[in-house]
Parts: sequence; C-alpha cells; structure tokens
Amino acid sequence: MRELAGKLLRLDRRAIFVLIALATLIPLLYPVGLPIRVSPEVKRVFDHIESLPAGSVFLLSLDFDPASKPELYPMAVALLNHAFRRDLRVVTMTLWVTGTGMAEKVVSGVASEYGKRRGLDYAFLGYSPGGANVIINMGQDLNAAFPADHYGERTADLPVLRGVRSLRQVNYVVSLAAGTPGVESWYVYGKEKYGFELGGGVTAVIAPGLYPFLDTGQINGLIGGLRGAAEYEILIGMKGKGMAGMDAQSATHFIIIGLILLCNLFYVLAPGTVVRSFDPSAPLRTGSAQDRTGSPQEGQR
Amino acid sequence: MTLFLRRTLPLLLTFLFGVAFAAQYYIPHPVSEGALTEISVWLRIILGFAMILGIASLCQVHYAKIRTRVAGWGYSLVVYLSMLITVAVGFWAGGQETGTGLGWVYTYTLLALQGTMFSLLGFFVASAAFRAFRARSKEATVLLVAAILMMFGRVPLGEYLVPAAGPLAGWLLNVLSLAARRGILIGISLGGIATSIKIIFGIERSYLGGRE
Repeated sequence: MRELAGKLLRLDRRAIFVLIALATLIPLLYPVGLPIRVSPEVKRVFDHIESLPAGSVFLLSLDFDPASKPELYPMAVALLNHAFRRDLRVVTMTLWVTGTGMAEKVVSGVASEYGKRRGLDYAFLGYSPGGANVIINMGQDLNAAFPADHYGERTADLPVLRGVRSLRQVNYVVSLAAGTPGVESWYVYGKEKYGFELGGGVTAVIAPGLYPFLDTGQINGLIGGLRGAAEYEILIGMKGKGMAGMDAQSATHFIIIGLILLCNLFYVLAPGTVVRSFDPSAPLRTGSAQDRTGSPQEGQR
Repeated sequence: MTLFLRRTLPLLLTFLFGVAFAAQYYIPHPVSEGALTEISVWLRIILGFAMILGIASLCQVHYAKIRTRVAGWGYSLVVYLSMLITVAVGFWAGGQETGTGLGWVYTYTLLALQGTMFSLLGFFVASAAFRAFRARSKEATVLLVAAILMMFGRVPLGEYLVPAAGPLAGWLLNVLSLAARRGILIGISLGGIATSIKIIFGIERSYLGGRE
C-alpha cells in the first residue's frame, strides 16, 4: 500500500492535466444543469436595474482584458440584456486598453439583438488613457474625458448622452473589473464625489476583497465570478455561458478537492515520499537521497 | 540652480498641489471645481507621457537582453517583433478594429494568447493542489479545510449534495474573511494617508530619485 501511495504521489502531472481537461470538457458538452442559488449581493444589482425607470442612464465599464473573458464576458452579456430590456440609456466604456475590442464586440452584439441603435439608444465610448484619472475627468466633464466615442462620433452630439454632462447625471454605474482600475477606483474617484449608485462585477479571485465595500453600502451589489454571472442569468431568465460553465466548475472543483484529499491520504500512507514542486526544475523537499534527483525526463514535465 | 530644479522645485510643487487638492475636495466652489477639471486633464496628459516612457523603458530592457545574448534573449526578440507588427498593422488600419488587420491581430493573437495563459492556471492549480496542499501544521490544516469548504460551497454540485455548504461558504466569506480583509484595508488606508502626508511635507523624498 505504501509503495502504491508513493507511486501515485509521483504521478506524472500531465495525467492531472488530462483529468482537469476532461472535467471541463464533458460537462460543457453534456450539461447537467444543477440548480443554482441566487445570492443576495447579485440580487441587489438586479433589483437596482429593475427599479430604474426607462430612459435612465446606465453606465457599464468593462474594465477587463481577454484573460478574464470566461468570467466577466457572461456578466457583461447578462447585464446588457437586462439594461436593453428595461429600455435604459446604455453608456459603455473601458479603462483597460486591451479590453477595447472585446468590449465593443459584446456591446454592439447584444444591442443588435434588441434592435438598439448606436448613438441613439446606446453608446460605446471606448478607451481613454489615464486609468482612474479618467473617472475624475468624467465626473467633472464627460465630453472632455471622451470628446469622441469609439467610432469617432462627437459625444456632445450623441442623443443617448443628451443631458449627461458628467457622472452626476448617471443613475447607475456597474464596473466589471479584473483588477485595477476597477470597482475600487470607481468608488474612490467616482461615487464618493459624484454621488451615483455603484455596483460591481468581478472575477472570483478578487471578489472576497470587495465584501467590505458591499457590507458598508459603498457598492450596492456584487457579482462574483462565473457563479455570479450564472446567478444573474437565472434572474433575467437567460441561458448563457455563465450557467453552461457552472457544471464544468462544479466538476473541476470536485476534482481538485479529491486531489487534495488523496494527496494528504497518500502522505499519511507513504511518509517521506519526494514529489516535484510546481516548478519542475526545483525539487520540492527533502527525502531519501536516491529520490532527490529526478530523471531528466521528469524534469522536463 | 541645479539643486533648485532637482530638489527644491519638485518639493515645492508637491507641497502646493498636495495641500491645494486635499483642500479642494472639501470646497465645492466653481473655481475649485474648475481647477479640478483642469488638473484631471493634466493628469491624463502626464500619464500619456508615462506610457511613452514605459514603452521606451521596455525597448531599452529588451534591447540590452538581445545585445548581450542573455538566456532567453529570443523572447525579447519576440517582444520587439510583436510590438512592431502590431503598431504597423494598427497604423495601417487607422486605429480601427472592425474588419481590419488590427482586429484580426487582436482576436486571433492577443485574445487567444491571454485566454490561454489564464486558462493554464486551472491546470497548474490542480497539479499544485495534488502535490503541495498538505496538512503539515495546524495553520496549514485550517487553510486546507477552509479551501475545501469554499470550493465545495461555491459550486452547485456542492450545494446540491450538502445544502448547508453554500451558506457555510458564505459565512466564511462574509464573516471570517471579511474581518481580516477589513483590518488589512484599514491598515493600508492609514498607511496611505501617512505616506501622503510625508510626501506632501517633503519627509518622504524617494520619488525624487537616488541623487537628490
């Protein structure tokens, strides 16, 4: 048993990679559709958009790049669907230069599904350099921050922005963020001074860091990770990529939990077994001398 | 004169702008608001130059690596080539992405590469979890149990199998983790205020560079 445990601990990590790949692929191809509980923080974002009368100004800042697309793109789709259904005036932008093309695609794509016209029902302001300073600039004078939209149209002439001179005239802002500048920047430089209501949508990794802002009311709601996106899709009655991805996430989480438990069990059964660390070129820890040096092939993994 | 330009003038400007814009926040007068509007434009212009400086620094670092042929200098060459090709295609496309070469580069290289890089994380986390996530001490055991509970409670399958898992994970997040996060945030904020005051009053001068 001890020998078997030792062998399994030294399992080629490519086997684990295959396991994770299968745990992701199979549920995506054959979804089970397990029920998802909607959390109060996601519901609050939904409720706030529901409470806005038609014609209210909703600003969606897509502050992420392609690396966070799997988590934040479904959120953007769900929020845009909801906003267009509610006939809100949708203003979109990004503070991340590498997210510009992706943001343009999602905004124009969802808008076309609802027959919304660019400039009249929605605007995509694009990217403006300056990070968090763009928020201050928008708070003081939106036309100075974005003299033209992404397509080169003068923002002062866009009907969708009629009466919107600064962030003070925006009813609700949601920042979908994968880091900084993101939700915190919108709170510190925007909401605090210009008084609009703020919600957030973030990757699962940074969501726990925003709970202090949620409980104090500094942000009114929070959509966290793919799960948050799936919850929002449930609220608006849409079957999107968020829900599709949740089965895959369930499977991978369980695989990782299983691996952690097995690892600990094997260590109990075979103490002193040497395994390779995360970095294949660095041996992890002490063990018997003969085990300390891996084969060259193992080092390549 | 050199000392004045190198040390006294930056310190003076830092003091004046620091005090003026800390006070500005509490003065909602049109003159004060006008000043903020103006300064917010200045800040963006300065950051534009910082971007140029960043690109220049990147080129310098990678040029040095290529020139001295240090290990991995080929990657530096890739950085140069990728940057030059993207800039050239960007100029060719007039900065427009839809239906242009720039859009193609964005969709089929940047988007795909960034997505792939981040996706790899899932695979490495799983591998690392199997090999390294061990209950070696009491602290490590607490971390391990918390991680398992969070992973279990944040997915539908976990909640389906054990309905209490979701609320338990929520409690961990909203109570235990939140308390620690709040403490860290307060510490960071107080540190930020203290550092700002030190910079404004010229006590902290490291931003002037080593030769001040």
